Amino acid sequence: MSTPEFAGLDNFEKLVTDGATIRAVVNTFVFALASVVTHIGLGMLLALGVHRTMTRGTKYFVRTAYFFPFLVSWAAVALIWKYVLDPTFGLVNYYLSATTNWLASPTWALPSLIVVDWWHTIGYTFIILLAGLQTVPAQLHEAARVDGANAWWRFWSVTLPVMSPTIFFATVITFIGAFQIFDPMVIMTQGGPDGATRSIVQYTYEKGFQSFEVGYAAALSLVLFVVIMIVTGLQFRLSRRWVHQ
Amino acid sequence: MKGKLLDLVLVLGGIVMIAPLVWLIVNALSEPIDAFQLPPRWIPHPPTLQNFQQVPGLIPFARMAWNSVQIAVITTAGALFTSALAAYAFNRLRFPGRDQIFSVLLAALVVPVQLTVVPIFIMMRWLHLVDTTVAIWLPALVNVFGIFFLRQYISSIPRELDEAAIMDGAGHFWILFRVILPLARPGLTALGIFVFEASWNNFFWPYIFLSTPEKMTLPVGLVSLQGAVGGGPAVVLFAAITLVVLPILVLFLIFQRSFISSIATTGLRA
Repeated sequence: MSTPEFAGLDNFEKLVTDGATIRAVVNTFVFALASVVTHIGLGMLLALGVHRTMTRGTKYFVRTAYFFPFLVSWAAVALIWKYVLDPTFGLVNYYLSATTNWLASPTWALPSLIVVDWWHTIGYTFIILLAGLQTVPAQLHEAARVDGANAWWRFWSVTLPVMSPTIFFATVITFIGAFQIFDPMVIMTQGGPDGATRSIVQYTYEKGFQSFEVGYAAALSLVLFVVIMIVTGLQFRLSRRWVHQ
Repeated sequence: MKGKLLDLVLVLGGIVMIAPLVWLIVNALSEPIDAFQLPPRWIPHPPTLQNFQQVPGLIPFARMAWNSVQIAVITTAGALFTSALAAYAFNRLRFPGRDQIFSVLLAALVVPVQLTVVPIFIMMRWLHLVDTTVAIWLPALVNVFGIFFLRQYISSIPRELDEAAIMDGAGHFWILFRVILPLARPGLTALGIFVFEASWNNFFWPYIFLSTPEKMTLPVGLVSLQGAVGGGPAVVLFAAITLVVLPILVLFLIFQRSFISSIATTGLRA
């Protein structure tokens, strides 16, 4: 690294004309949206399923099984899944009777990482949603039942409003976490094939620590900052419409 | 009847969730020629520890484990200490600009560490700390989430308690360490588990700052082992991953209750 020279807006000009940057921003947005939908949606279904009356043993097993992967570091997860997704001796292709080379396919690489991310992180979202579900007072459900509300209506008018602060927290955390995604890209795909999985943070790393364009990396960091600020601000603004305080 | 069917779906889903971990351990315990067979084997046949014995020859595993422990302990102790001090100040003290400073801190909550890596890397180079474990724990000593989380926790402790202590002539440090923190113990435990887990599993920061194998932490060590194994038997890599993953899973099974409740608390409080 040389002494910094004031570059004015050069780095930002390069940003908007660099196709790889735009690709990385789009990839990151796709990843973040898919994360929120799969984490909150499937996490909620899972939490509702476990919250119902279940035998203690079943509950213990299900809760532990879904939580286990969260304890495994991303580095280990990424290495294990490289083999699970391996085209010739991986588990996925064997059980799906497929021959797809998931991580080398421009179409499937990003969805594969979304699945791996879900596997790794759902335990966290699930536990938070389950805890939120347990704060819903049973009396409220009872009252709604007396008024003749069916299960779906009770979920919609009792469970969801009481849980809305928890769902809001989980959504914000999932979004912020997804915008920072780096580890699986670096370990599993190196951003490839052909930039299909390159995320903003990973591109920042490539620019700053592999090709030593520090100024450009700093400009990229700023883009990530602005993106996170806008999305988080928007979520807080929208939250006034649906989150009960 | 409907309930039983749903239970079955959830249990089957749970089996699918842990299958990759079982597969990992079975392969780690297999002879290289028996590993990665199709259809996959779910019981090692016969189990062998030879893959585990090869790990220390390829990477300084014990040294990496020690680095991970050291960094996680220093980070956790430091973050708990600074978070407690700051949380107390933001909740119980009055000073000019307090709320403004706290708002800035809240904004910093959404700023990921990834953003600060370029400037901090330049600072660490200047301090000659690149490729040392100090570069990993030093920036982690102050934890914005920890300050926010403990402040929320402390605000639920009645002020009458510290007012009574002030009447008896107690100073702020006495109040914090003798009155507030003992009552905030569940919050401290939750935060401690959270910070420790995050530090133990951290990949991004050590990957950028550490390059000498003897200075690496376990997650970076695993990725470097992948290169060392190269075209060789992947079972050695699987053995090393097992060595990293298994202790955590066993610890979790023992402390399941406090672990789950700590995660739940950080979610509900924040």
